[in-house]
Amino acid sequence: MATQIVMDHTGDTRHYFDANDVRALREAEERFEELTGKGFTAAVRTAAGEVSRIRSFDPTNEETLFFPRLVGG
Amino acid sequence: MLLFRRSRLGARVRLRSRGLGRLFSSKHNSEARGLRLLRSWLSPEQRAQFDATRYFDAIGCDSGKRYRIHYGVSMNVNQIDAAGHPKVGCCFVPIGYLVAGDVMLAQKIALETNEFGALAVAHTFLPKDTPSDMGMFAHH
Repeated sequence: MATQIVMDHTGDTRHYFDANDVRALREAEERFEELTGKGFTAAVRTAAGEVSRIRSFDPTNEETLFFPRLVGG
Repeated sequence: MLLFRRSRLGARVRLRSRGLGRLFSSKHNSEARGLRLLRSWLSPEQRAQFDATRYFDAIGCDSGKRYRIHYGVSMNVNQIDAAGHPKVGCCFVPIGYLVAGDVMLAQKIALETNEFGALAVAHTFLPKDTPSDMGMFAHH
């Protein structure tokens, strides 16, 4: 199961989807587009523990993290 | 009658306490979830440092500068020198109400993947324990 983790006031909300399920995959891609369109940053982890930003949906990512746009505090 | 009033008052206080308890419990759960998420995304070195000190260091991807991210939700990031002393504070946070673990993770990812982008929106401040801060504002 692949996971999309969206940070929110509860800590996070997780969306699980089967990358082999065409409908679930389409929903996951739509969620990716919607969140990044709102200014969320999408990030993934490499096996070595490094993080990287992604700008397009990749169904092979096991875990994608989304956090809201940054502003000066 | 007095006994009745006292029992009603007691019930009201208990209800309020339960409500607050739920609120704190809910907040506590959110904080715990945020911290679990943060720890799972830290490198092994950062995780060990955070567990020992409640802060961890992140290297800016664009400049190679070192930043120290303290537990907190604002004014919790300092650029540090080679000796680990704070040089300048950088305040940038994700919009919306997020718990500390989430804020710190967003700050880490931003510095490690888009340092200049994060600094472009950040407000800078003088960290509390810099030598200049201690000297400049001391009254003699």
